[in-house]
Amino acid sequence: MKTNSKKKILPLIIGAVILLALPFVAQMITGNDYWVLILCTMLIYVIAVSGLDILFGYSGQISLGHASFYVIAAYTTGLLNNYFNIPLFITIPCGAILAALLGAALAYPASRLKFHFLSLATVAFGEITYYFLYTSPGGFTNDYKGINIRSIPFLEGSYTKWYFWLLLWAIIFVVAKIFIVNSRTGRAFIAIRENTHAADGMGVNVQKYKILAFAISAFYVGFAGTMYAHLYKYISPETARQKQSVLFLTMMLFGGSGSIVGSMIGVVIIEILLELIRPLQEYQMLLYGILLLIVIIALPGGIVGGVRDVMADRAKRKLQKEGEGGAQNG
Amino acid sequence: MADIVKDEILAQEETDKAIAKEAELQAAGGKAEDDKAHPVVLETRGVTIQFGGLTAVDHASIKVRKGLITALIGPNGAGKTTLFNAVSGVYIPTSGEVLLNGEHLEGKRGFQINEAGISRTYQVINLFRSMTVLENVMVGMHTRLKSNFWSDLFNSKKKREEDAEAREKAFEWLKFVGLDEYANSPAGSLSYGKQRLLEIVRGLASDPQVILLDEPAAGMNSTEKLELDALLKQILNMGYTILIVEHDMKLIMNISDYIYVLYHGALLAEGTPEEIQANPDVIAAYLGGEDDVI
Ligand SMILES: Nc1ncnc2c1ncn2[C@@H]1O[C@H](COP(=O)(O)OP(=O)(O)OP(=O)(O)O)[C@@H](O)[C@H]1O
Ligand SMILES: [Mg+2]
Repeated sequence: MKTNSKKKILPLIIGAVILLALPFVAQMITGNDYWVLILCTMLIYVIAVSGLDILFGYSGQISLGHASFYVIAAYTTGLLNNYFNIPLFITIPCGAILAALLGAALAYPASRLKFHFLSLATVAFGEITYYFLYTSPGGFTNDYKGINIRSIPFLEGSYTKWYFWLLLWAIIFVVAKIFIVNSRTGRAFIAIRENTHAADGMGVNVQKYKILAFAISAFYVGFAGTMYAHLYKYISPETARQKQSVLFLTMMLFGGSGSIVGSMIGVVIIEILLELIRPLQEYQMLLYGILLLIVIIALPGGIVGGVRDVMADRAKRKLQKEGEGGAQNG
Repeated sequence: MADIVKDEILAQEETDKAIAKEAELQAAGGKAEDDKAHPVVLETRGVTIQFGGLTAVDHASIKVRKGLITALIGPNGAGKTTLFNAVSGVYIPTSGEVLLNGEHLEGKRGFQINEAGISRTYQVINLFRSMTVLENVMVGMHTRLKSNFWSDLFNSKKKREEDAEAREKAFEWLKFVGLDEYANSPAGSLSYGKQRLLEIVRGLASDPQVILLDEPAAGMNSTEKLELDALLKQILNMGYTILIVEHDMKLIMNISDYIYVLYHGALLAEGTPEEIQANPDVIAAYLGGEDDVI
């Protein structure tokens, strides 16, 4: 027990030091804070993709319209603050909670749909969000031009400050995900994913838990959206389009769904790839397409799944070898 | 004063009546004694299930008594699984009633029926394959655990304590069927016979009033079948009540207290194993069908 906890503490300390030093190292190497902004974006995406993973990876439901929650929450905090001057510490939770409520409302009818119909329904939801924001009644969303949003006052002007603020939230959301998936609630999610019929037979209220998964997931993505809006100080309907939803999905699948670290690995690798091909903006969707094909054809469990398979294979071979050795000895 | 005396006399009359009634029932075949030691827990009354034009179950009325093993047999396609599905909430009966301790269950959903006290296993194995063996049993406890979303989210002390307790209890269940060494393996990696055992303890983990077992011996070899025979008796001794569907006649005749025979959806016969084995209708039904199990 003691050695076990010691073993766990060392990597934890190393990880903490790396995370704390990262923005300074990035600044030192590049001489500017552009990569600090990228790190901030990664932290926001970690929250969003972790949330999507609770829905897809754990409860087995698909959503191709998650960018809607991201954007709706962003507009909510932005508009409430712009129009009514409500302080951000109120408008930010309002955005995330509205996203969660909409998630639950969408899930209520959608929870009865089969997988492929659910995916169509979520695509439709994304499109509806886009067109609503694009041509809103009375133009209160400033339509296609998008809206300017204030930064969070005590973080304004310093991406390094933003980094530590977002790091804190990313940790909170990831820890919450760990708690949720390792609980009665999480077991109910996984049971639904594994065998909906048997989950019902074992006393799991399938519809209730599907709705809950949608709401939690939308809350994560919504919160990430509010952070994105205040960090970039701008949001437009464009972000509600398929491209953003597919980005989240690609990150989750590429890193490995149904996994805590999978979401993080996916975000980091794909965000770096995106930066590398930034001059070729128009090929972004092509990159997602290629990565998704790789995952579907060659790496069904994403990177985490692949590593897991390799390790399981090794352990098996080792056992076999030992078995053979034993047989020879005997 | 007079009132009290009157009440006493009335009460005396009541007991006299009850005694007389019991004697009457006993004369009618010892049923009253049965009612006391083994009251009816689960009952279907005239349950009918139709799929389009096909009547899969036709006015089936069965009684499951507490602390006994009741069996449901019949040739392939007789409607046994369909009746199980109607009892456990997979299907809503076209007509008829399902009662658990007098409480109506028909029309309730599967998860509500599990919560009410009926658990089950499946003819086609329905485990949560990539969850561990231990976690499968823990899902079986779902309705008996109290933690909710908020206590789970904040990982409250109460939740952690309940979780640890549940884990321990689940482990005890695995020990009971000899699966403890596989506790942390994925359920899908178990052999067929072991998966069937896991389904049984997953069902028992909710501490049900009645457990429905749909062909638990299917795919088992003869040693495993012998072990299952002993296991079912042990489960009975723990105070559980079993309703079993099974094609293995040796097993059924050995363990059952009471048997119902379904044939083309309708009840053909009922009685003790001896009565069923001697029943000419039953013999004809089995010999007449393409079924080769007896
Ligand atoms: N969902 C369904 N839709 C249509 N017909 C069904 C359905 N389920 C069962 N049936 C039909 O109902 C009848 C009874 O089937 P059931 O599975 O209950 O039989 P069974 O007694 O369990 O047989 P077995 O011993 O082979 O398991 C069969 O004719 C079957 O084809
Ligand atoms: Mg059957």
